Amino acid sequence: MSDPNPNASPVMKVLNFIWAKIRGFFVSLGQSIWSLIKKIVLGFINIFKNIYLAFKEEPKSAVRGLLSFFIPGLGQFRNKQWYKAIPFFFIFIVFIVIELATSSYIYALSGELQDFPAQDGVLYFFRDYGGFFTKGIWGLITLGELVLGDWYRGEQIVIFDRIFTWKSADNSQVLLGEGVIALVLVSMYLTAWVINIRDAYHSHLAYLKTGVVEPAREFIRRIWDDFFAYIIIVPSFVLILFFTIIPFLFSFLVAFTNWTTRVSLGQQLFRWDGLNTFKTVFTSSDWLGFFGAVLGWTLFFAFMSSVTVYILGLIQALIIESKYVVFKKVWRIILILPWAIPGLISLMLFRNVFADNFGLMNQVLSNFGVTESVKEVLRSLNLVNQVDSVAGTGNILWLNEPMNGNLAKTIIIVVNLWLGYPYFMMLITGVLGTIPESLYEAADIDGATNGQKFRYITLPWILRATAPVIITTFTYNFNNFGAIYFLSGGGPAYPIDEIPLAVRVASAAPGQTDILISWIYKLSFTSGVRQYNLAAVYSILIFVFISLTAIYNLSKLKSFWEED
Amino acid sequence: MAANMIPKTFKERVEYNIRRFFRRLTFKKFVLGSLAYGWLILMVIIVLTPVLWMVSASFTDATQLGQVPIYPRFSEWSLANYRELFTYKSTDTQLLPDYVESFTTTLQIAVLNTILVVIFSSLVGFSFSRYRFKGKKQVLLSMMALQMFPSFMGMLALFMFFRQFGLLNNPYALTLIYTAGAIPYNTFIVRGFMRNIPKSLDEAASIDGATNLQIMWRIIIPLAVPIMGFIAVNAFMGPWLDYILPSVIMPQRQTVAIWLFRYMNPLSHEYNPIQFMAGALFLAVPIMLVQIYMQRYVVYGLTAGADKG
Repeated sequence: MSDPNPNASPVMKVLNFIWAKIRGFFVSLGQSIWSLIKKIVLGFINIFKNIYLAFKEEPKSAVRGLLSFFIPGLGQFRNKQWYKAIPFFFIFIVFIVIELATSSYIYALSGELQDFPAQDGVLYFFRDYGGFFTKGIWGLITLGELVLGDWYRGEQIVIFDRIFTWKSADNSQVLLGEGVIALVLVSMYLTAWVINIRDAYHSHLAYLKTGVVEPAREFIRRIWDDFFAYIIIVPSFVLILFFTIIPFLFSFLVAFTNWTTRVSLGQQLFRWDGLNTFKTVFTSSDWLGFFGAVLGWTLFFAFMSSVTVYILGLIQALIIESKYVVFKKVWRIILILPWAIPGLISLMLFRNVFADNFGLMNQVLSNFGVTESVKEVLRSLNLVNQVDSVAGTGNILWLNEPMNGNLAKTIIIVVNLWLGYPYFMMLITGVLGTIPESLYEAADIDGATNGQKFRYITLPWILRATAPVIITTFTYNFNNFGAIYFLSGGGPAYPIDEIPLAVRVASAAPGQTDILISWIYKLSFTSGVRQYNLAAVYSILIFVFISLTAIYNLSKLKSFWEED
Repeated sequence: MAANMIPKTFKERVEYNIRRFFRRLTFKKFVLGSLAYGWLILMVIIVLTPVLWMVSASFTDATQLGQVPIYPRFSEWSLANYRELFTYKSTDTQLLPDYVESFTTTLQIAVLNTILVVIFSSLVGFSFSRYRFKGKKQVLLSMMALQMFPSFMGMLALFMFFRQFGLLNNPYALTLIYTAGAIPYNTFIVRGFMRNIPKSLDEAASIDGATNLQIMWRIIIPLAVPIMGFIAVNAFMGPWLDYILPSVIMPQRQTVAIWLFRYMNPLSHEYNPIQFMAGALFLAVPIMLVQIYMQRYVVYGLTAGADKG
């Protein structure tokens, strides 16, 4: 143990400070998770305690709850609250009808079980006859059991059997997907069911106390008024649930499977695999090396592209707003063009500008006859390492040459600068207008120079006003798929001998300019690669990273939480 | 002309200003001024060169980058690329040329998306700016997190579900993904705007016996029309330039972005970077005009989540 060195270098002090912050963050995160767990456990215990108390103190009300426990709505009906009984019963019926309509229990009852008896005690009842919910949950747990050619109940499994659906082979992918949907729907139903039981109990309690049953009209008005805030967000919630949250959940679960290659329908299954994929990612040196390289570049790219864009935007705003420049509006309109042009188009345009042969850049350079000298400069900066073949045109290979990886990275940052600075230029111009004139007047009275005014008034004001946006930009760039995919497509590739065999076999190597998100895209959607589980693990890492930044960012924003 | 005389004609005014300018010109001003203008001119060149190259390339009859001259030759301008753009059909049987068809498909998506996004985000934004309720913070927090993830992180699952339920190649189903993805961000913008509408309005109305619905529909929504316009424009423009989602969800139908990407993909039949420039320009010009018109809202939009510092 050593005391913190009072003479430590400033760098070390800063690092120590950052480390303390990070540690503090994780400690408080751990504490809040722990208290959440405690709350949930205590909540469960409380449920039983409450039930016990309910039966002891108000057996009559508890019986109403019990009625609703068995048939939702029945307790409400006995409470003479038909307007509650009907919706609860309706939800119950819908749930049952969906389950029955998608099931084949009827065949099980009509003798199929006797005609095709289980062999060696193997019978997956819910697989063969379950409805959407039961089969979904079964599939989520098992991810399928039988594939093409297996023998089951004395029959051979085929790809698809229209009449005896249980003879069809399992498809893990579909089972997982339907399982997730079923799980979410079942938990929604269970929530409604619990609410229904509690309501039957509490309504009767209220009746015992007051002696009146709330009239229907009053009830509906009360719900409409008190729950208006909820009612109007329900449609959006449903949409987000099905098109954002459930898909994310699916991706999350895939990380815990061994779904690596494209599973050809019915011939293979994938399995729950625990944390093995995480283990591969973090312990296999082949994958870890690439992950480190990609993560490093992602962070560098996100950091550089946010900082450069901010600085250039600041400079532009200050220059245009300075007293030396007239026709401010004209300059502004021209200089925000890169923002007005859609990003996708500019990025692909720049792909043309930096094309190997006859791209604008190479044409201009050769037109002025400076290709060789520019190449020399870039070579001395260690950006260009290409070997010019004899027959080659001598063009600089901007984005596609494996030896010029750093050049491609530089270009991506520069192009991103071109695309991104107007955003900050506009933002900072706007902020400049909000600085009160009185501050400058006070500074004038104190005899401040222009430099001091800038250093102590303008700059702090701008930084304070734009700090949250810088962090947002950082996270945005962290996931800036387009900037990579449409410009370089992740290329150039790594030289073939730098790719470890395990990765080469899976043909899953990232390009030199791939950031995490574009590598994930390649891993999931390039035919012949499809390392779904790896992609999912990386997605989870992104998720963790982004959430941490978001929480940090939010904790800085007091106004976000302030209620009004 | 005396210095205190007010110049009348345009010529006089110009002369007056020039004279005033030189009279007040100091060395320091001269150096700083020329530095500033030098910098601005340099930036303008950097900004405009690729754009002008794109314009001039689109008006040639070239089919490869090598045939595009660096300096535009005005005598050889041609509309060949645009003619090709609006007549090319990749199969004989189709009714409309590909570009036009992809355009109309995207238009449908954009219109539907605009309507849905405006309705849903206004409702949610209204709820979050006007009421306190249990779970509000948690929902806000998760929305904040959700808006940071690209929708395509769940794309694999979406592709699977869509295939399972027969929704592949259905532009309206694709729209729902866009809408769901756009709600969180826009909610924050609407919320930020509506928070600045005084609550005394609501209170006065509710004393007069207005219901929640009436307060929302008659009072707040009319006041929030500007921000809804902002959201509408954003929602309308979003789908035009999204490539990844439609390329996965609609493998057999094109949106404009997919069709443009085809021109840039060396492996596709239609590979032609010059054609791309024509198609991209045709799409970019209206979007550019709207963007420039909307720029005054940008500062607002950027800081909406963080208003009042």
